This record gives sequence, structure tokens and C-alpha cells, in this order.
Amino acid sequence: MRRFIALARTAALESLAEPLSAVVFLAALLVVHLAPVFHYHRFGDAARLPRECGLSALLVFGLVFATSAAVRTIGRELSSGTASAALALAVPRWLFHCAKTAGVFAAFALFAAAATSATLLAARTSALGAEIAATGADVRIWGPGLAFGAGGTLLAFAAAAAANRFLRWRFCASACLLTAAAQPFALVMSVPAGGFAEKGAFISEAVLLLPSFAVLAAACLVFIALAAALATRLDSARVTAALVSAVLLSFFAGQVDRACPAAGWAVRSVLPVLSDFWTADRLVGGGALSAAETCRLVASAVLLVAFWLGAGSALLSRRELP
Amino acid sequence: MSEIVVEIKGVAKTFRDFWLRPVAEAVRGVDLSVEKGDVFGLLGPNGSGKSTTIKMLLGLLRPSAGEIRLFGLPPGDCRARARLGYLPELSYLHPFLTARETMLYYAGLSRMPRREAKARAAELLETVGLSGAADRPVGGFSKGMARRVAFAAALVARPELLVLDEPTSGLDPIGTREVKDLVRRLAAGGMTVLITSHQLFDMQDICSRVAILSRGRVVGGGRVADIVERAADKRHALEDYFAEVVA
Repeated sequence: MRRFIALARTAALESLAEPLSAVVFLAALLVVHLAPVFHYHRFGDAARLPRECGLSALLVFGLVFATSAAVRTIGRELSSGTASAALALAVPRWLFHCAKTAGVFAAFALFAAAATSATLLAARTSALGAEIAATGADVRIWGPGLAFGAGGTLLAFAAAAAANRFLRWRFCASACLLTAAAQPFALVMSVPAGGFAEKGAFISEAVLLLPSFAVLAAACLVFIALAAALATRLDSARVTAALVSAVLLSFFAGQVDRACPAAGWAVRSVLPVLSDFWTADRLVGGGALSAAETCRLVASAVLLVAFWLGAGSALLSRRELP
Repeated sequence: MSEIVVEIKGVAKTFRDFWLRPVAEAVRGVDLSVEKGDVFGLLGPNGSGKSTTIKMLLGLLRPSAGEIRLFGLPPGDCRARARLGYLPELSYLHPFLTARETMLYYAGLSRMPRREAKARAAELLETVGLSGAADRPVGGFSKGMARRVAFAAALVARPELLVLDEPTSGLDPIGTREVKDLVRRLAAGGMTVLITSHQLFDMQDICSRVAILSRGRVVGGGRVADIVERAADKRHALEDYFAEVVA
């Protein structure tokens, strides 16, 4: 277990310590927090745009972050020789692969938690802005939400810079950690004061939204495991190209299924069908994703993760490390 | 009879391309044995197959032919690899980790308890003269400092066999001398050391036995004391012998 923890912790740190990670955290969270500001269409559902923006940010930025992290922690380690230095010791290759991938999962979980908190806050901000606007006041933005969300994110970056300057903390890793920590803090700070009735709407919104995030994050974990498996054999450019192809294929799996059921079955056997995992449309007007469907989708993602972890371990076991 | 730590019998390695066509024959039928307590020098010119032989011994490459035993076990067996420390030819370190974190990482890979690992890291960083830089990221270290961290990392698990691939590359004369002194101290403490180097003068000082590789074959070797005894110029005995057998 100590070997697993040592490898996973280093992989998580490596995932967060790159400048790209800090840029992805900042960009994704600001996009979500600023969604209520550019709120020109409500589609009859005040929280819809921020909600879908948050889910999109989780998918797109999450895939960029996780793919680059998987390629770095596995592919680059294999090519640079740091993997050889570890694998020359008493570290089985399957353990190395699984622990490194688990480290990337942990870093992605941090990103997903931050994106989920930011979306809950943005959705609430937008809904409250709509309530205020309905009273006739020309207010479209609920100030505290924006201040706590976007302001907190920027403040976290400033704190990371100060920690780097005075305490020698790693800037990018601490920026990611502080930014992620700022999101639930901002969310808690913006929970309306008052009785259960005021808090009730907030909580019920969170209960509706969380399963959709969990399902989409589970689909992203499959792509991380796929990227990690490919990185045991291919260089970063080839892994990126293969992963983009896999994401596109999983987007159009429904069409593939209709055109050729055998090919559709083959795609479903190794990739998550993204149209199944994209559940934002079911949340419109207070809709919900059923617990049974959530469990089914998460379970299918877990199986696919296990498949790609096994494939990656097998590929690494057979690889020579000159 | 002394315990055989490393046994290599008729080992060959041919690198192949994607279509399995042979590209390079790096090692051709090497036989070696390293006994417990030896400081064994694996010497040879560039491209002679030293690093390939070591990587096969560590289980990083699979031999095309022959057999390798490490503590009597195949090199893929983790029980055998748990007893060795390895310093690669280039100091492969995570640039974002500090020197102390690097030591703790390698201690974790050898399943050392956290408290013991911290004490061991401090002790080894003191030994290699990097206590003052323990909390700086190794990405900012000079080549010599990185080499010292990698050396300390190879020792963290108190290995019985230490495999050193070009340990003095990138070190200044003082650093080279410190490494030689450290290897001598470790060998005096009973550690077996397998070392590759181009610095024949240094190897003559520290090795008890050597094998000389050229174009993937063992072309000479034996006890260093015997080679020195036979030589006319005792000071450059190993260099002269090397030139003779490689030529």
C-alpha cells in the first residue's frame, strides 16, 4: 500500500504542478462563474445556462486537464526514465500503472469537485438574479455569488502567488488546490440566511444537479484510463490524436449503432456513449436523473475503467524500457 | 564458498524494429558472476553493451537468449529487486519534487515506514552534502547535485546490491572523490556493488574485480589486484590492460 500511495501521490502532484493545470482550473471556473453575467436567454429556466455551462466545462476542460495529466505522468515518465528508476526496484508494473492512473483520478476529482461547486453557485446566482429581475428591478446578477465565486477564484490565485513568494510553495499546484478549496467555501458563504424554506430551494437544486455531475465525471474517468493505457505505448501526440478520435466516436456512438449494430456494440464495449452520460437536458424545469439510471451509468463506467486499467497494465508489462 | 549475488549465463540481446527485424545486436553471449561483497566493475567503450546488460539484470529489458539470476531469482521477481538499489546513467528525478520528497518517494517505493523514511532521508542528504538544499526542487539543481540526490535515493532502502551506472558522470573531481570514498565505505560494510564507468583510473582504485565488454562480448577481466601485479606501470595498470584487450 505504501508503494501505491507514494506513486499515486507523486502522480497527483505532477498532474497539478504543470502550468496547463492552473490555466485549466482558472479558465473553467471563471467560465462557470461568469455564465450568469452573460445571461441573455433563460429558456424558461433561470439556472439552465449556468448548469449546462458547468457540465460542459467539466467535460471539455476536464478532458483536456486529465488527458495532459495522464500523458505526463505515464508517457513522459516512461520516455524520460523516471519510470525505469522506479520499475528497477520492487515495483510491479501493474501496480505502477494503476497507482499512477489513480493519482490522475485524484487530481481530476479535485477539478470535478471544484467545477460542481462552482456550477451550484452559478446556478443559484442566476436563479436569484432572475427573481430580483422579476420584481422589476434592473438587476441581472446576484452580487454576492459573483463576488464569492469569480472573486474567490482570483483571490485563490493571488494567495498561491503569495505562498510561492514567501513560503516557496509550488505555484501551479497550490493555485489548483486553493482555487478548488475556494469553491465550496464560496458556495457555503452564499447559502441564503434564514430558515429551512430559504435553504430548501438551494439544497433541492444541489440534489438534482449532483447525479448529473457524478455521471459525467465517471465518463471522464474512462477517458483518463484510456489515455493512461495508450500512454504506456504511444507518444503524447499520438495519445492526443487517439483520444480525440475516441471522444468523437463516443459522441456519435448512437449513429454508429443505427448504421451498423455490430460496430455500435464494439464501441459500447470499450467506450462510454457520451449521449447517455450527458444528462443536462433531463434537468430542465426541475427534472431529475433517477437513482437507478445514475447507478447503471456509474457501474458501466466503472467496468470500462477496470477494462482500460487492465489493458494499460498488460501493455506496460510487455514493454521494454531501454 | 561466497554467495553468488548476480549470475549471467550466455545472455544476448538483439533490439528489433516494429516488424521484428533485427536492428542492433547489443549483447552477444555474456557470462558474468558477482559474489557477495564484490565491487565489480563492468567496463567497456561506448556502445559495448554495459547499460543493456544492467537493464536486463534489472528486468527493464528481456534477454533474447541466456539466463540471468539475481539473488538466485529471475530479475522480474520483486523479491530479488527489493534487495537492490539502482543509480541510472542519467539522474532521472521528478523536477517538481524537493530533494527530501524525492528521498521519501523512493523510501515509499521500498515500503519503508514514514517515520523511518524521514530519518533515513535526513541521514542520506547529510551524507551526500545536500542538507542545506533538502527543501529545494531538484529541477533547479546542477547536474552534480542531481547526481548526489540520485545516489542517495539508490541507498535509501539499505540495499544489499548497489547497481551504479556511470556514478561519477557529471561530477567534479571533488564529487568524484566523494563517490569513490562512499563506495569504499559501503563495500567495507559488506555491500555488493556493480558499477559501470569509463573512468578506468577511478575503477582501479575501488573495484575488486572487473569484466571488460567490447561489442557486446566479454573480452577480458579478472581480479584487479592480479591485473595490477602483472602490469609494468602499476599506476595505469587497468588503462593499459583495457587498451590491450579492447584493441
